[in-house]
Amino acid sequence: MIPAQFDYARAKTLDEALTRLAQNEDAKILAGGHSLIPAMKLRLTQPPLLVDIGRIADLSYIREDNGQIRIGAMTTHYQIESSDLLKKICPLLPECAAHIGDPQVRNKGTIGGSLAHSDPAGDWPAAIIALNAEIVIVSKSGERTIKADDFFVDFLTTALKPGEILREIRINRTNGRTGQAYVKLHHPASGFAVVGVAANLSLNGDGTCDRASIGITGVAAKAYRARDVETALNNTKLNIDTIKNAASHATDGTDTNGDLFASAEYRRHLARVYTQRAVSAALDKAK
Amino acid sequence: MKIEGTHEIHSPPEHVFQSLTDPQILQRCIPGCVSLEKTAEAIYVATMKVGIGPVKGTFKGNVRLEDMQPSSHYRMIVDGKGAPGFAKGTGDFNLHENDSGTAIAYTGEMQVGGVIAGVGQRMIEAAAKMLAAQFFNNLDKEIGSEPKTVSEAV
Repeated sequence: MIPAQFDYARAKTLDEALTRLAQNEDAKILAGGHSLIPAMKLRLTQPPLLVDIGRIADLSYIREDNGQIRIGAMTTHYQIESSDLLKKICPLLPECAAHIGDPQVRNKGTIGGSLAHSDPAGDWPAAIIALNAEIVIVSKSGERTIKADDFFVDFLTTALKPGEILREIRINRTNGRTGQAYVKLHHPASGFAVVGVAANLSLNGDGTCDRASIGITGVAAKAYRARDVETALNNTKLNIDTIKNAASHATDGTDTNGDLFASAEYRRHLARVYTQRAVSAALDKAK
Repeated sequence: MKIEGTHEIHSPPEHVFQSLTDPQILQRCIPGCVSLEKTAEAIYVATMKVGIGPVKGTFKGNVRLEDMQPSSHYRMIVDGKGAPGFAKGTGDFNLHENDSGTAIAYTGEMQVGGVIAGVGQRMIEAAAKMLAAQFFNNLDKEIGSEPKTVSEAV
């Protein structure tokens, strides 16, 4: 499996990468290369030019600024999985990272690359939606910030335009009683999510749910926010019955997809079961 | 794989039928269609450049229209081949007049093979639905109405 011929440019700075990218609209950014390179080896994709951003020093970081968590696009899954800061202030991210692929994928693959690829069964999109994150995008004409909900447009399609690079993920730190969880049914061969559900709950003092954010991946053409589940959870005293009732709305208004492994109907069932599990696990952590 | 759905369009069935069987309009509506040439009565040769995310490929194929019942029904038989794989499919289109114009009900059976089926199996259905939605959105632009597609795979 040898890819078609392509040109390769290693950018030293983000500005250089943007310049290279502007020269060829079919050029692809090479981040961790764990989705792009396999597709190239199968010749499913044959980009004429790869712009490698792996050596740009200031794209890999995890830090907290004034209550906001900032993660550089080239931060690897493993760096997130093993971050003590994130385990303390945003445990959903390390938990989600631990579910991705295998050690090799986690050591090389990056959060920015995964989001930009927007695999319909990728793990990050569910977590990023549940965390109400913002995504920072740069291009030659400047910088823009987009909400996670608006970033995922369709199957393998994001709001990134030609000439743009995903630079940073921003998440507002939540205070008070919060609980987060990511649960997933792994595809036994690929490790991708047959269904993956990320739940992020904020609870009031009396134990009712103040704000629930639920992201679901693997079920539809793109990861989505389960709005009807959130509505059913908000301002509700959470117990097994209310959670089960809310989870029954996991695929409302969603066009679900099937494949040889799991039919659309089975996936809808799984989405309800795993949503119930994710919300229950998040609630346990908030106690 | 089976795909079916309905699409409503603000135009009378006669006009919709005419548009759906007009090579020039079809070329503008089929996603990535570079050329569509008529080789015989109701037989066309098409070239499509399809790009979905990182997967890009050029497909060449034949399109045949059968069982033409003007303004109510026709069947489309497609087979195409490209570097990423091949696809064969049959689709039935039924047109009904309703309050807002025409309801197009379609059912299709599709087979996909080659590399794209081997490694992309879990994605084929999503890709097919996305292309169907794009086709009908383009058709809406051609005939001039708001997009409204419901597709369901069974």
